[in-house]
Amino acid sequence: MSAQLKPGQGPLDYARRPWIIALFALVLLFLYAPIASLIVFSFNVDKSGVWHGFTFMNYVKAWNNEQIFYALSNSITIALISTVFSTILGGMTALTLWRFRFPFKTAYEGFVALPIVVPEICMGIALSMFFNYSGLMAAVRDWVWPFNLINIIFAHIAFSFPFVAVVVRSRLVGFNRQLEEASKDLGATEFQTFINVLIPFMMPALVAGGLLAFTLSLDDFVITLFSSGPGSVTFPVKIYGMVKRGVDMQINAASTVLILVTLSATLIAMKLQAPAKSGH
Amino acid sequence: MDDWKDFKRVFLTLATPGSLWMLLFFAIPMAFLFVLSFSSKAVIDGEISTTAYDYMNTFQNYVESAGHNYLVLLWRAIWTSAIATALCLALAYPLAMAVCFAAPRWRPLLLLLLILPFWINLLIRTYAMYSIFRTTGVVNQAFGLVGLGPYEMLNNTYAVIMGLVYVYLPFMVLPLYSTIEKLDRSFLEASLDLGATQAKTFWLVTWPLTLPGVITGIILVYIPCLGTFLTSDILGGPNNWNIGNAIQNQFLESNNWPLGAALSFILMYVTFIALMVRAFLAKRSTGVDA
Amino acid sequence: MTLRRLNRRNVLQGGLGVAMGLTFMPYKTMAADEAKLNLYSWDSYFGEDTLGAFKTDTGVDVKIDLYGSNDELFAKLKAGNPGYDVVIPSANWVQRFAKANMIIQLDHAKIPNVKNYDPAFMNPEWDPGRKHSLAFVWGTYGIGYRKSKAKNGKPDSWKFLLDSPDYDGRISIQADQEYALGSALQYLGYSWNSTNKTELGKAKDLLIAAKKHIKLFAKDNGDSLLASGDVDICGEYSGDVLGQMRNDPTNDMDYILPKEGGNMWQDTMAIAKGAPHLANAYKYINWICDAKVNATLMDAIHYPTPNAAAKATMSDDYKTNPIIFPSAEQMKKVEQSIYLGEEATAAREDLWTAIQAA
Repeated sequence: MSAQLKPGQGPLDYARRPWIIALFALVLLFLYAPIASLIVFSFNVDKSGVWHGFTFMNYVKAWNNEQIFYALSNSITIALISTVFSTILGGMTALTLWRFRFPFKTAYEGFVALPIVVPEICMGIALSMFFNYSGLMAAVRDWVWPFNLINIIFAHIAFSFPFVAVVVRSRLVGFNRQLEEASKDLGATEFQTFINVLIPFMMPALVAGGLLAFTLSLDDFVITLFSSGPGSVTFPVKIYGMVKRGVDMQINAASTVLILVTLSATLIAMKLQAPAKSGH
Repeated sequence: MDDWKDFKRVFLTLATPGSLWMLLFFAIPMAFLFVLSFSSKAVIDGEISTTAYDYMNTFQNYVESAGHNYLVLLWRAIWTSAIATALCLALAYPLAMAVCFAAPRWRPLLLLLLILPFWINLLIRTYAMYSIFRTTGVVNQAFGLVGLGPYEMLNNTYAVIMGLVYVYLPFMVLPLYSTIEKLDRSFLEASLDLGATQAKTFWLVTWPLTLPGVITGIILVYIPCLGTFLTSDILGGPNNWNIGNAIQNQFLESNNWPLGAALSFILMYVTFIALMVRAFLAKRSTGVDA
Repeated sequence: MTLRRLNRRNVLQGGLGVAMGLTFMPYKTMAADEAKLNLYSWDSYFGEDTLGAFKTDTGVDVKIDLYGSNDELFAKLKAGNPGYDVVIPSANWVQRFAKANMIIQLDHAKIPNVKNYDPAFMNPEWDPGRKHSLAFVWGTYGIGYRKSKAKNGKPDSWKFLLDSPDYDGRISIQADQEYALGSALQYLGYSWNSTNKTELGKAKDLLIAAKKHIKLFAKDNGDSLLASGDVDICGEYSGDVLGQMRNDPTNDMDYILPKEGGNMWQDTMAIAKGAPHLANAYKYINWICDAKVNATLMDAIHYPTPNAAAKATMSDDYKTNPIIFPSAEQMKKVEQSIYLGEEATAAREDLWTAIQAA
């Protein structure tokens, strides 16, 4: 089999197989073509979806549009906070399920996975009733930003952390517990073992789960709509209210800015993190 | 696995926050709806009320949910989601392999490239997709250059499936990435050294070892797919309503929360059955515990 | 705007202080009678500076949230008013909101500008005496089409949407039982608001048969699909199609009311029950009813105004546009949607589900 490989190509260099590279390129095309069109049309003079000329006006308008500015900053704030908490809660839940035997474990497992199963509208209405009946909705209304978003954050954590738990758990399945025992034999406490052995092992899954949580939070419209009060509108909710009358190109402009901001933030974070990263 | 009684403090520290959160922001709110699914709209002064309910007095909502129309819509959701999930898996597996086997410094960047589009709002992305494939879109313009088309590519089942793949791909890529990443390469090398072909190695070594990730991916894609309504709303045609649209419609337009709740719980039960079948099969065949 | 953005920056800094400081508890900002108003509305009902002008005139700061459909508004208020003051429900929904006790009875004495209304708008059958709502804008539901793609003359009948292969695969109609069933009923010669089982059954069969020619049931975006060339004919609101026509340099789109009648809709201003800023809500409604304010607003959004005093001051261009103000003869034929009660509405929704599942 390895005879078919080109010189300098190892049998495990799947990343260099032409068909995988071709597939990768195709998928990227599929993923990015709509986004490229979105960016191109953010420079269109009108919102018809047909090219009628170049302008920067959409960016200027979006920047000066208080509504979009608010919605965007709300969305990013909510996504960041809920990602942090979802990752922590999800990681802990995954550890519980992976490490312990306890009564009604299967039922508990199903219970924790429920938010993945429940249709969004159902959870949205349920939370809306809960926040109103419990008085949380009224209480939070006049709190100063970003505390007025707290209901939405609660809701987002509730539907994202199960996703993190599922992802982390599927990685933990392959963990060799002898490593843990070795660490304890060498005198490390439960906590030290957790920090020095388990966390590094879980890291890729925590990152993957965190990214999922961030995506889920940034995208969610239905549950947010029903757990938000006046003035706590997020970007998706704002968009949903606007697109009924055709997508305004200001939204394209704002999305372009959003993707540039997240892209550069991620790249900077990766740069900063790079020296500390150990090889495989 | 440890017994929880031997490490009570660790167990409680790990289990409490998630459980509490689930109880407060999920179980209690959903309990309202569960009650509602067995309730009916109250009749006040001979007129059906818009807001009041008679609680826990009927199974009618479940009977209605099992009616012909809803079964058709449920079945539609089941098979479109299955096709979309299969496509996601077929695409995501090689991609996740490529990312994991790329040079370490490229890995984060490649992963980022696959995830980045998903930080653009779903609605916007779906509309962007619409704008490319529409009658006057770029794709048809390209066809036009070589004298073909324009083709009507949208508002049909294919478009809905394509849209679902577009929306849920990262839910497959990420869990696959996190399991393939931990794959012990020496197993693969051993298999290849011992003369197994690449295909055989994949089928006998790689695939079984990454099965937990595959199953997680399938769960994370298939289940949310079942309940979607936005994709079929925007990319679908007159025959692409599915159970998610029906539930949405009962809660919003119809103002029939009891029926909407019953439909939602039925969808949940269907998913539960699927998960149980999955767990049963997994236990019987490979013993994989995901 | 800069002021509020600065506020947010202060808050960020303040947040640091809070985190380091004594307590993590957020605090209440102001008392209840603050100069604020929470408006919950449809999009595209404001000019570029409408809310800014309101602030200049009255000092009241408006927070606005948008919804895309009446049912969204209804579901949201049903769970409890999260703090909205003024809402904009559509005509037939006013009855439903009022029945559900979600909007309050208006005190006309607090809205002196009510005198500016065209009397024709002051006593609709769905809100006698305007107890709960005041008209904001109105319009019609008819047929938008591309002139260059028209077959067999102007599409002046629901037939072209529902019962003809002329526009095969290039048709969109509103994804809403009220409009889909309404137009089908009207085409069959029945009332738009029929609750008769046989009539509704025929309308359902007509719509199921029509599905093979329909491209999609559009969620209020038929006008943009028409503009982008994805459909050639659509069931749409007059104001939306007109908005697209004004942006079309090729002047290829038109709007027509079907000979069967068409539908007249109205969006209204109402005050949500439990509104935290009641006085400001009245202030806002009264301000919108001011002739000059209203004329400026309508000039920006191009919907027909129910405000006679405002209309009098506006350009002939606006007043004589047959799409904005259809002829008196046509207006005799249009029907308005009324609230049919929960049972009849549910029956129609069931038919809608059946149509979708067929």
